[in-house]
Amino acid sequence: MSLARRYRRLLLAYPRAYRRERGDEILGLLLDGAPAGRTRPTLREAANLVRAGLRCRLGRPASRTVGVWAVLAALICGLFTGALAARTAWETSRPQPDRAEFTAVFTEAFPGHRLNDDVSTAPALFVIYGQPLSRASLRSLLLGDGGEYEEGAAGGSATGPMPTPEAQTLATAQQRLRAAGWQVYEPTSEVLQTCADPRCDPASQPVETVLVARRGDTVLRATFDDPRSFGSYLGVALQRAAPPAVLPVAVLAGLAGGALAWLVFAWASRRTEGRRRAPLLLGVTLFFWWVPVLLATSSLARHHLDEPHPSWHPLWEWLGQPTLSLFFLVGLASALVLLLTALTPRRDLQPLTV
Amino acid sequence: MYRSLIYVAAVTQMREPTFLILTALAGGPRHGYGIIQEVTTLSAARVTLLPGTLYTALDRLTAQGLVEPDREEVVDGRLRRYYRLTSTGLDALRTETARLRQLTAAAETRLRALRPRTA
Repeated sequence: MSLARRYRRLLLAYPRAYRRERGDEILGLLLDGAPAGRTRPTLREAANLVRAGLRCRLGRPASRTVGVWAVLAALICGLFTGALAARTAWETSRPQPDRAEFTAVFTEAFPGHRLNDDVSTAPALFVIYGQPLSRASLRSLLLGDGGEYEEGAAGGSATGPMPTPEAQTLATAQQRLRAAGWQVYEPTSEVLQTCADPRCDPASQPVETVLVARRGDTVLRATFDDPRSFGSYLGVALQRAAPPAVLPVAVLAGLAGGALAWLVFAWASRRTEGRRRAPLLLGVTLFFWWVPVLLATSSLARHHLDEPHPSWHPLWEWLGQPTLSLFFLVGLASALVLLLTALTPRRDLQPLTV
Repeated sequence: MYRSLIYVAAVTQMREPTFLILTALAGGPRHGYGIIQEVTTLSAARVTLLPGTLYTALDRLTAQGLVEPDREEVVDGRLRRYYRLTSTGLDALRTETARLRQLTAAAETRLRALRPRTA
């Protein structure tokens, strides 16, 4: 392949209309500047052409900020696409643990403790108000109750008096879980602030201790609480960890979504140049899409630091979705109006270049 | 009004490559490769513009009304488009040059005053 052809390939980063107008000129310059005998563009040259071409696609050549807006838009769209793909990839997971599996694990970890009869199981991988997502619950999901959408789990609690002291129960559970092939994380304890009065003795406040362990695709979370406050001294939840397909699928889909979003943004940016409401609509879209991300990320990061997480919370939760789905919908409506504005033919259409 | 705002922004935020491109064009219309060579000469090879960067800058300067296409010619089968400074571009270059001259003069004054003390 000739050097000129390789340069032409790199020029594909520029929009078609621009290539028609300036492609031969830039190619001429590139060939003029290439030393004799060069057969391939240098890496620096290639990166520079691609970067300039992607910038050129955004139009608005005098703007110094359009690139930042494009990056923000592409990034958030990539994250949303990645989250959607992650949810799809979750379908490769085994179903959430059933009653038999839960009972076996409870008996294994906590011998001598009586399991209450009311063991709950999840009818689906993810549930809203304990039920699989359905057309009826879609309304709740999108219009304010999105925070109820969560990973299903099998859960149960111990009943009766604690047969051994908490420290001994904890040590036995850790030992038995390790012997059964579980990876056991260091337990964490937190003083629960049940009394707001500063005169309350901190030593009298209940302490919650959490033990987390993972074996294969299953995560166990045992919570030791004050039975006077919680009705049971021990609550256990068992749920599936994110299946291996989730990460690569989310990354690939995120990259594809981000790239596509860049191209759509670029098209809309060129089409709406000079239209005053376009920046306003873009601002509204990015505000309503990014604010939940900032809120959720700061909150979840603190939560992750507080206790071990063998399996991270799903990507969409980091994006504040579907908890703040109303924000997403307002942003989506604004983005659609912006795209419709871009679709509307311009009366003052001018050539891309002079 | 809009054009004058762009002009003000261009003058007050002129970066070195932009200044060098305008300076290169102050000597007369040049094509892309000619601008790159001239910028390299003017900056004593300290600034080497890559083609992508040059055309991004030319597009911006054209949109700001500081530069405009002059003519085209084909040499050895390669298209060359020449660019020239507009009167607005010339004004912007003069203003920036005056600003740099004033800064240079101020710095030289301070340095002259410093010399006896450090000697």
